[in-house]
Amino acid sequence: MKNPYLSHPAKIIKIIPQAANIKLFRFKFVREGRYHFAPGQIIELSIPGFGEAPFAPCGAPDKEYFELCIRNVGKLTDRLHAMKVGDTVGIRGPYGNGWPISYNKKHITENKNLLIVVGGLGLVPLRTLILGKDKYLGKNTKVQIFYGARTPADFLFRDEYDAWRKYGIVIDLTIDKECAGWHDCVGLVTTLFDKKRVVNNAQAYLCGPPIMYKFVLEQLKTKHFADKDIYVSLERRMHCGLGVCQHCAVGHLYTCKDGPVFQYEQIKNIEGAI
Amino acid sequence: MTGAQLEKIFKYLKNQKWRIFGSAKISGEEEQTAEISPYLKAHQPIDLEPMPAGRLQIKELESINELILSDELPIYPFKNLFIPECETLFEYKGNQLTESDRSHKIALFGINLLDLKAFNLYDLVFANDPYYQRRRKNSLVIGYATNLEKDVYGRNYEPDILEHVHFDIFIEGPSMHSAKQGKLNSEKYKIFAGSIKGQRILEHLGYKKYEYIEFNGPLVNKERMNELRNKLTNHHQQKIWDELGKRCIECGKCTIACPTCFCFRIDDEAGLVENTGVRTRCWDSCYYREFSEVSGPSTSSGQDNKPKFLTTTAQRIHFWYYHKFARIPDEFGIQGCVGCLRCHQVCPVDINIKEVLEDVKK
Repeated sequence: MKNPYLSHPAKIIKIIPQAANIKLFRFKFVREGRYHFAPGQIIELSIPGFGEAPFAPCGAPDKEYFELCIRNVGKLTDRLHAMKVGDTVGIRGPYGNGWPISYNKKHITENKNLLIVVGGLGLVPLRTLILGKDKYLGKNTKVQIFYGARTPADFLFRDEYDAWRKYGIVIDLTIDKECAGWHDCVGLVTTLFDKKRVVNNAQAYLCGPPIMYKFVLEQLKTKHFADKDIYVSLERRMHCGLGVCQHCAVGHLYTCKDGPVFQYEQIKNIEGAI
Repeated sequence: MTGAQLEKIFKYLKNQKWRIFGSAKISGEEEQTAEISPYLKAHQPIDLEPMPAGRLQIKELESINELILSDELPIYPFKNLFIPECETLFEYKGNQLTESDRSHKIALFGINLLDLKAFNLYDLVFANDPYYQRRRKNSLVIGYATNLEKDVYGRNYEPDILEHVHFDIFIEGPSMHSAKQGKLNSEKYKIFAGSIKGQRILEHLGYKKYEYIEFNGPLVNKERMNELRNKLTNHHQQKIWDELGKRCIECGKCTIACPTCFCFRIDDEAGLVENTGVRTRCWDSCYYREFSEVSGPSTSSGQDNKPKFLTTTAQRIHFWYYHKFARIPDEFGIQGCVGCLRCHQVCPVDINIKEVLEDVKK
């Protein structure tokens, strides 16, 4: 019987600092070639002696490597942040279901546009989708991003925004509080709904701190988004990644196995989901 | 089968190097939960009461003289023999992981029907788990009941109950509180075989009067299961959980005593030699505050300050009930409770599962 807890060694091949305490790590498997995952899925990263934790890969699709963007917040991530190019970690997965484009083509056939609403690190699980827009969404799909961060220095992947814009993606940014040198929007990510024109005929993909969802959902309702057109990526504690250990259970669903991306329609009546 | 023949089976297994586990009387010296759960002990703020003398507990048995065959439930179930309270998944040296295999040939002698029902769930939950499956394969399960009509609480079993539980051999007959007493029981035990493994052992010992029972899948009272599932899923009553949240002290004893509870956590433990250690899988309890903790900035000052999703006692006790009576039925089509009532028996604040479920049904 195959051991589902066994991880595969992957080497760090590049480290790119992103923001305070946040680094983008590029990995390559020691034994295998290409790494297949759908945007929004998760993997379990482990370092012997420091434990395991789930992360969402965020690199460009169809590469010989994969990327994880990780904030230093605990024992495992602290160790990872101390690692250098050439060091090895363990990876198992991918697990769960990502953004709906990854497992059905409905999104493209329905010809819906896409509004991405993210806060803080929430942009991470969407970067693969953004970098592979044509592949996943088709050339004609319009993509708009509402992105809120604490300060201008907290915006992730900000040296890529020009390239994304050239690609036809609209990016609207906002920061929590006024700050010298910042001439754009100020306020929580929900303020963008009042200040910016929302792309028409769209689905919405949400990812951010748990507190964000309730307020963004309210805004989406005022813009007449149907519950079936809203997708949220949920955060929960995970241990096994296989839908067994119960830590990530939300109602009758498991965040690791059935999510982390859920259609809002599917979870709106579950006590404690949002 | 006679009592003397039961003894023959016991001795045969012993000779064949099976480690035999079964119910034995508690002397009153053993400290409660120390044997079954150092982890629970670590969570207890105060010294624990000694184990109640006279009750039964599952122990490794050296001779049949220690064995008690009775409908009485042992104070804790046998789940730790299949999913140990803490087990090593891997040993590591640098980045090299080596899968740990510490399974032994284990024979369970005289397991009651309610506890046997728990296998139905564990076999589904751990269907793809190599550690559980190895232990299961290396086990011999001998069930026991004084009768196949009523359980220890006087409730009726489902019809043809033996077709709906897993066992290798099943013994039906008078209770036995000592081997001496057992010997007096001549021709009083009815024997069933539930697997080829069980059949072979019986035949090897020259016993042919057994009845073969084919496992026919778990039996479910669909009406009752769906009623509870529907109430919990579609008619959430916060008041019930708020009230229970005020009483429950989150000791986690019910999760230890429950034969179906199986939540676990995975952690790394460094060894004494640099770059070595183990990755462990240990029981967890959804009543503990860290169960749903995630990384991120603290939400308040004090000890209980990590962000989490089950933030109140009420939410945590609801999580436990929801798992057993809604999530497991949704996932596996059976109920996550075998009706052993151990959770009530060990509860220090007298939370009675029967009363809670009655409230949910209202």
